[in-house]
Amino acid sequence: MKTNTGDATGPGAAHEAGDGASADQLLAFDAFVGSVDRWARSFPQWPPAVRIEEEWAAVGPRLAAVRGELARVLVVGVLGGTGTGKSTLVNALAGSEVTAAGDVARPTTTRPVVVAGPQVDCGWLPIERWGAKLVRSDSAAVAEIVLVDCPDPDTQGRADAATDDANRNRDLLEQVLPECDVLLVVSTAQKYRSWAVAREIVEFAPGRPVLFVQTHASRDFDIRDDWRRELERQGFDVPGIHRIDGVEAIRRAAAGLPPDEGFSRLLESIRTELAGRAARRVRRTGAGDLAQWFFRQASASLAGVRRPVEEFVRGVARERSRLETVLGGGLRRRLEGSGASWRRRIVAETIDSWQGGPFAAFLRAVAAVARFWPGREAASIADNGLAESEIEQSRSILVGLAARAAIAEPLVGRARLPEERAEVVAREVQLRTAGWLSAGVDALSASRRDRPSSTLLHVACEVVFGGLLLVVLFRAGWSFFHDRLWKGMPTDTGGFLWESLFWVAVCGLALRWLVVAVVGRGLDRDVSSLLARLPESRCVDPAITDFAAAADGAAEFIAESDRLTAEASSLTMGMADPSVSLGRLKRPPSEQGEG
Amino acid sequence: MSLGPSPESGKPEAAAIRRLCESIRGLAPLARSLAAPDPSRSAWHDELFVKLEPQTAGEPMLVVAVCGGTNTGKSLIANALAGSAISRSSPEAARTRHPVASLPRGFSDPAAVARFFPGFDVVRLAGEDDPLVDGAAHRLFWREDASGRQPPRLVLLDTPDVDGTLRDNWRRAELVRSACDLIVAVLTQQKYNDAAVREFFTAAAAAGKAVVVVFNMLEWPAQASVIGGWLETFRRQTGLDPIAVYAAPWNRDRASQGGIDFFEVAADAARDPSSAVLSAADLVERLTRSDFDAIKRAAIAGSLAIVLDEAAGGPHWLETIELQAARWREARRILIEEAQVKAHLPAAPREVVWNEIWKWLEPRRSRFDLAVSGAYRIAGSGVAWLGRRIGLLRDEAGKRGDFASEELAGLKTAMGDFLDRLDDACRRDELVRSVLGPRLVQGDRGAWFVELERRHAALPLVSEDYRTFVRGELDRFAASRPDTVGWILTGLNVGAIVRPAVTVGLGLAGAAAVPAAAATAGGLTALAHHVGDVVVGAVASIAGEGALELTTSGLKPLLESLFAGWSVRRCDLLASTLRDVVLGDSLEEIDRRAAAASDPRIAEARAAIRALAGGGGG
Repeated sequence: MKTNTGDATGPGAAHEAGDGASADQLLAFDAFVGSVDRWARSFPQWPPAVRIEEEWAAVGPRLAAVRGELARVLVVGVLGGTGTGKSTLVNALAGSEVTAAGDVARPTTTRPVVVAGPQVDCGWLPIERWGAKLVRSDSAAVAEIVLVDCPDPDTQGRADAATDDANRNRDLLEQVLPECDVLLVVSTAQKYRSWAVAREIVEFAPGRPVLFVQTHASRDFDIRDDWRRELERQGFDVPGIHRIDGVEAIRRAAAGLPPDEGFSRLLESIRTELAGRAARRVRRTGAGDLAQWFFRQASASLAGVRRPVEEFVRGVARERSRLETVLGGGLRRRLEGSGASWRRRIVAETIDSWQGGPFAAFLRAVAAVARFWPGREAASIADNGLAESEIEQSRSILVGLAARAAIAEPLVGRARLPEERAEVVAREVQLRTAGWLSAGVDALSASRRDRPSSTLLHVACEVVFGGLLLVVLFRAGWSFFHDRLWKGMPTDTGGFLWESLFWVAVCGLALRWLVVAVVGRGLDRDVSSLLARLPESRCVDPAITDFAAAADGAAEFIAESDRLTAEASSLTMGMADPSVSLGRLKRPPSEQGEG
Repeated sequence: MSLGPSPESGKPEAAAIRRLCESIRGLAPLARSLAAPDPSRSAWHDELFVKLEPQTAGEPMLVVAVCGGTNTGKSLIANALAGSAISRSSPEAARTRHPVASLPRGFSDPAAVARFFPGFDVVRLAGEDDPLVDGAAHRLFWREDASGRQPPRLVLLDTPDVDGTLRDNWRRAELVRSACDLIVAVLTQQKYNDAAVREFFTAAAAAGKAVVVVFNMLEWPAQASVIGGWLETFRRQTGLDPIAVYAAPWNRDRASQGGIDFFEVAADAARDPSSAVLSAADLVERLTRSDFDAIKRAAIAGSLAIVLDEAAGGPHWLETIELQAARWREARRILIEEAQVKAHLPAAPREVVWNEIWKWLEPRRSRFDLAVSGAYRIAGSGVAWLGRRIGLLRDEAGKRGDFASEELAGLKTAMGDFLDRLDDACRRDELVRSVLGPRLVQGDRGAWFVELERRHAALPLVSEDYRTFVRGELDRFAASRPDTVGWILTGLNVGAIVRPAVTVGLGLAGAAAVPAAAATAGGLTALAHHVGDVVVGAVASIAGEGALELTTSGLKPLLESLFAGWSVRRCDLLASTLRDVVLGDSLEEIDRRAAAASDPRIAEARAAIRALAGGGGG
């Protein structure tokens, strides 16, 4: 961008002595604008977030453009009620009659007049769209700024008042002001408390420093103190107000006299606070103010939903644990109802791990026979874990809490899940429960299996059972080799064998009973501790996923807004400079409203 | 002087105006409850209560008010006209916060002043600074004429601005505008074409006020030539036809001493501006010479026209009330349509109904019969005991527990569904939302469900009410059938497993076209009622041929009603919980509003308007 200041543009331009802000600071600001941009879009469809997003749509581009336009010459919009002497002041600053001024008819100015030095590039201003007139001036006052004589805001009637159809001055003004960087507000004793003008200034003041000027100095009382009070009530910081007389200034210039005190002070302000290098400072100050103003608006949008969102988040946690309690209660009843099969399964798993040895072989044989015995399957315990009515109760409660936080469809669903969704949820809950349960039971049996006492028990059983077998074998061998072959005694071999087999079996079953008793010891306690860990399983989450997601989204959105607000004030603190006479909108208006 | 005895012509009109005022006042609470627009800020309401009603009581006065934008010198001009300071003038803008009235000598009855300026707290002026003090209340200060030159029956007012940042000032100026007959419009070169100023005087033109224009703070005679253009713009923009136009040059020193020079400007403005200088006293003298009766008549006619205006006046407001009442009827319809759910509750445990019937049968059966069925009962309980032992049958307590939890689940689902439907109704209709929305959003839904559980736990399986119901049904049946007992025994064995569908909804007992008084009695209320055809379907499919046989004997309807009657009583639990903890009296509220269209007060107001319009024409 070409400017008459001779400054280099681009990123390098930021490295300037005495500029106040380093390139790092500007980069940080850019990054900040990027994260605000992401944040503002991060939770669509939530009314407070939508308001913020809309606000950001107007503010974001302005902040994003700050760095690129940092070195551009400032556009100063001259704004004020009709008859306050805007055009007279513009003429006085331009040093010649560039725009019509007078008292013949109100309003005098119906199309904007853009005044710029001979070298200044005004290509980026939509002069044609405004229907504006571009005038070049050699005057030193406008050498390094672009001055726009704006139409007045107070002669156009309300949209619904069918008075003067031709007057579109306020509409035109509202097209011009967005392009201005600084507002030069002109007022008189009659107009400084005019509601129509004040509304327009407050509307466009966020992020635009304001130079206040009282005109008609030679006739009107000095009302600057009262004006300052009024401006402070509207939320402005007002370091100073100028007081000039445009007609007098033109008269003195024509007569070749030096400007009077008031007017020369205004010229000095423009030279030191708006022109040339000061432009960067003004833009930075404006950007900082705009960012803070945006976050003030955002926090106002969120103020009403902060507590409801916290309550909603707590409500989601409460309902989740309520559903878990319900699910846990059901599981416990079923686990207790089918205790025998659980015991069997855990014992079987323990025994399965015992390899080798006659007792292990015996147990397998028993298990093979037992398989023919009818028994309930353990997996069925997870069936119907969560009743539909309980889900609906929780969802209905959450619908109410969500509504308080302005969260409604489509962010969250209804209390009653639609048929197909209910099926999906039920299946999901059941799958999760079954998966969690079998994992838990596996862990339970694994821990039993790997207990040192388990190995000891195995060894002991093998020894006892093996010993019994050895005794039987020895007895059989003794009777065959010693009694029959050696002594030739007739023996009842078959009878003994059957008898011993019977006792071996009885002994084995007795051992098995012992093993089951030992392995199954403390199983009830283990099941209780397993159920106590149910909340970690997130089994009931599918029933309220939409609410959980919305609550997290809203809470996260608010937390991020707090973080960004803090960042905004720390970032802009270093960017803004106190000024001698530029006013800034800093607060919302106090008590009595603008309507 | 034309301030002579005043118009007696308006007497019958006065009665009609008072009648209309009464009926509008009577309607206000109804309009508020219907959330119809508040009329107290509309022009017709101001004209009726601020202008016309005061005119019907006491002696008529001519009220002259000085109005204009901030810092245009209103107070200076008012002081000059009054001949002494009635209001502190200040270089700072918008300092006059409350109107100040200067009353002619001998007229200092505070009650009469208060009657003239409804909408204001009327206070006697204690010091010049009183009107500058801020405050939310609309005050009007008054004092007696100090100079002694104010004609009798002329009241002079200084008013707050019409364009400043303090909106209360605008409202006070509007109230004064309605109350006065003649306005001294103070205009300046900066403000004569401001939108806010134009709007103020456009309304004055519509109300038929007489207006005297004063162009103040002029560079005189430099600006004499441009005034004509200003006046033309002002007249075109506002539609006003000023009865006189004056120019007041800028002279601060003279003004602060209470002296202002006025130059008369011809209405066509084409005249030589160097007319004679008039003092403020001359101006007052000229004002008093104008035709007061004509001014008053014009002002009253203008006010009447605004009050009676079909598109924006009183009749329009009545229409909006009726429209609003129609919207409430629609809201009621939507609510009835939306807010109903089918509750799926478990069927009555067979033995519950059976036991009740058994109790009824006992004294009516033969000894043999009793012995046989007693034996069956013993045998049956033996089988049941065995079944329980081997785990095929559940014991009684377990069965009750299962039943209770199944029923509670059904009730909870129905409650959740019902709340869903109420939410839907709120979404569909703004007025339903205005009544139910706060309850649904702010209410503690968790507590509602807890309350439902509590009531369910406290409910006995068989209520006394149901016992009475069963006995009544059976007696009625027995009276029409000779062979009752046998039939009933057969029926119990065949058609008992009925699962009735019960609807919980917002019923209305009185139906549509009922008079207003009766509508409240038979209005909306949450109630449970069973749906007959669904019950019939259930019997046929479950009980098969046996049930069909029963149809011929008329026993089927009896059984249906016995089982359904039990279920309806269970569902009543939900209906009563909804009524007590969720809906409260909001249904009655909606009923009342829906019935408002036929309120006699609306007809009365219409009649009053007709009477006034008829009288005004004559």
